[in-house]
Amino acid sequence: MSEVLTLEDQLLADFDGWLDQHYADASSLKAIKKAGAETFKSLGLPQRKSEAYKYTPITKTIEKNFDIETVENASTLTKSDCEAKFYNEEDANHLVFINGIFVDDYSKIVSGSSDLTIRVLDEQSINEHPELKDNLGKVNGSQIDPFAALNLAYFNQGVFIKSAKNADNKNTYIYQFLDASASQAVIFPRVFVYGSTGSRTRVYEKTFFNGDNNTLNISIVESMVEANAEVRFTKLQNYETNSYAVEGIYAHQAKDSRFYTNTFSFEGAVIRNNVYINIDAENCEGHMNGLYQLSGKSHVDNNTSVDHLKPHSYSNELYKGILDDHSRGVFNGKIYVRPDAQKTNAFQSNNNILLSDDATINTKPQLEIWADDVQCSHGCTTGQLDEDAIFYLQARGVNKPQAKALLLNAFANEALNELQNDLMKEEIEEIILNKLK
Amino acid sequence: MLKIENLHASVEGKQILKGINLEVKAGEVHAIMGPNGSGKSTLASVLAGREEYEVTEGSVTFLNDDLLELAPEERAHAGIFLAFQYPIEIPGVSTTNFLKTAVNQTREARGLKAFDAVSFLKEMKEKMKLVDIDQALLSRALNEGFSGGEKKRNEIFQMAMLEPKLSILDETDSGLDIDALKIVADGVNKLKGPDNASIVVTHYQRLLDYIVPDFVHVLYKGRIVKSGDKTLALELEEKGYDWIKEEVAAL
Ligand SMILES: Nc1ncnc2c1ncn2[C@@H]1O[C@H](COP(=O)(O)OP(=O)(O)O)[C@@H](O)[C@H]1O
Ligand SMILES: [Mg+2]
Repeated sequence: MSEVLTLEDQLLADFDGWLDQHYADASSLKAIKKAGAETFKSLGLPQRKSEAYKYTPITKTIEKNFDIETVENASTLTKSDCEAKFYNEEDANHLVFINGIFVDDYSKIVSGSSDLTIRVLDEQSINEHPELKDNLGKVNGSQIDPFAALNLAYFNQGVFIKSAKNADNKNTYIYQFLDASASQAVIFPRVFVYGSTGSRTRVYEKTFFNGDNNTLNISIVESMVEANAEVRFTKLQNYETNSYAVEGIYAHQAKDSRFYTNTFSFEGAVIRNNVYINIDAENCEGHMNGLYQLSGKSHVDNNTSVDHLKPHSYSNELYKGILDDHSRGVFNGKIYVRPDAQKTNAFQSNNNILLSDDATINTKPQLEIWADDVQCSHGCTTGQLDEDAIFYLQARGVNKPQAKALLLNAFANEALNELQNDLMKEEIEEIILNKLK
Repeated sequence: MLKIENLHASVEGKQILKGINLEVKAGEVHAIMGPNGSGKSTLASVLAGREEYEVTEGSVTFLNDDLLELAPEERAHAGIFLAFQYPIEIPGVSTTNFLKTAVNQTREARGLKAFDAVSFLKEMKEKMKLVDIDQALLSRALNEGFSGGEKKRNEIFQMAMLEPKLSILDETDSGLDIDALKIVADGVNKLKGPDNASIVVTHYQRLLDYIVPDFVHVLYKGRIVKSGDKTLALELEEKGYDWIKEEVAAL
């Protein structure tokens, strides 16, 4: 009788061999990755009763849709295939990841060490950058999620982005190519963004697909935002019906800093976003915005936390959802205000429009407040498109799809407010419109 | 231009229009008057294509087309314009914002070239003068926080932009002071021509001093119970509707 392997076992089956093959015994990275695997083992994957993954039975989903043993992650994408997808912005950095691996050769980097250092996240960069070595895999929140730990164990050649002090940096685009033409793809991209004191860094990430097999993207972004620095990380998740993902963004903020994340999600079989901001100093601003527009059987789960540890900071969170067909949206927003964090202002809202009777939204705000002198609010709404408004616009000669698009754009617009990138904004507005046709 | 024959319509199972007959020719102005709840707005909505209202009998032809077969936007493209009695508010959508789509879809449907940004603005400026409306108002969320007069003026502005063949003004005068009324009437008169027509729904004679009708009809309990020229409006103003109600009851 053969023993049934758990998914954890299957995922780690070849880990030791793989690690020995890629990393020398004495390397720092090997130790970090081993520790990642240990954390993963001790956390285990979310089980049926998991509170954190309540509406997204991720383990069962992966078991059902992936044959871990056959995954190859080979790709035939060429440099020009990738370049063809670059945003039309000459004076910007364009970084290519193929199946979770940063491909330096395919990337176009215009910044230099005087403003923005962009390097392969490998043994060498770890040894040259103590801020990377000291924090990799340690940004708060990432240790409690098994997928973040699994990514730490398995990521291979991520990217390290470090702003020089006071530099106002050019845009950086990250293109995540998922190539599942040969077999299923299970990938582990990792990005570390270090915003030095007084600097501004903006990163825009977008996903692309090649091939028809299922893909599982276990992606992690960590960011350290130093004093008076600003980091913006935006994701355009243009997933497909056979895409699965667990993506994490973990940020740590020093005093007077600002951190912004935007997550725009369009479709996906099962997509889970974990966003975790630690506000560990005074006078910080943390912003989390998101928009999910889903149809078919898409399922997108946004699980967000902001942790106020020190006084006088501000956080604002706005997620908007447009749900059609049998799609499901999940929103969970946690706000922690620790005993020391007096004079915190924390706001959260989640608004949804259901375009079909069969679409579902599970939304849950969760406020845990230990300080007494704070201002916190949260609210969620779920409704339909206003038929009177549609008729009004039609009566003025606007056809029905366009009328709906105008109304949905107006609804979605607020979630686009913090996106300071016209190229991406226009693209997103077009996606919203096209999905309504 | 418009021919309504034996039109019956219901909403939520309730019969509201019970056999309307009306013909409007190019160049004419028709006033429809009648007590509250007679079905005036229902008639306007049915002509504009509101789905809630179900046509149970009768026909409407507009410029030789079966109007009832067309979607609301196709009716607009064909040249029907309804100025709503209660223009709704649309948060996050400004007049400028949707009107460009509205005007260009209409122009394309009429075989005209769509306006580019510059010519659209020029067109806007011209039509804004006509109804004395402010650019700032048009950039705000549609009707949100607008005064009654501003809402109505915005309706007439949109009408000017869309250049309809048949405009239906549903109580455009209600809630307007005399100055606003003059501006609105002025706008409507300037847009009048031999090729277009209007149906002016009102229950005050007041507006008809400024927009002079060729015909006046009284709609009561879902039927046109009396038609005449502009003197009928004056008679109604003087005597109220009771005598009409009595005449109908006597039948
Ligand atoms: N959407 C609706 N649902 C139910 N009843 C309606 C609706 N619209 C109109 N009615 C009813 O139809 C009748 C005629 O209304 P309406 O056409 O607005 O009259 P008028 O414009 O002449 O005052 C009224 O009794 C009104 O209550
Ligand atoms: Mg009415």
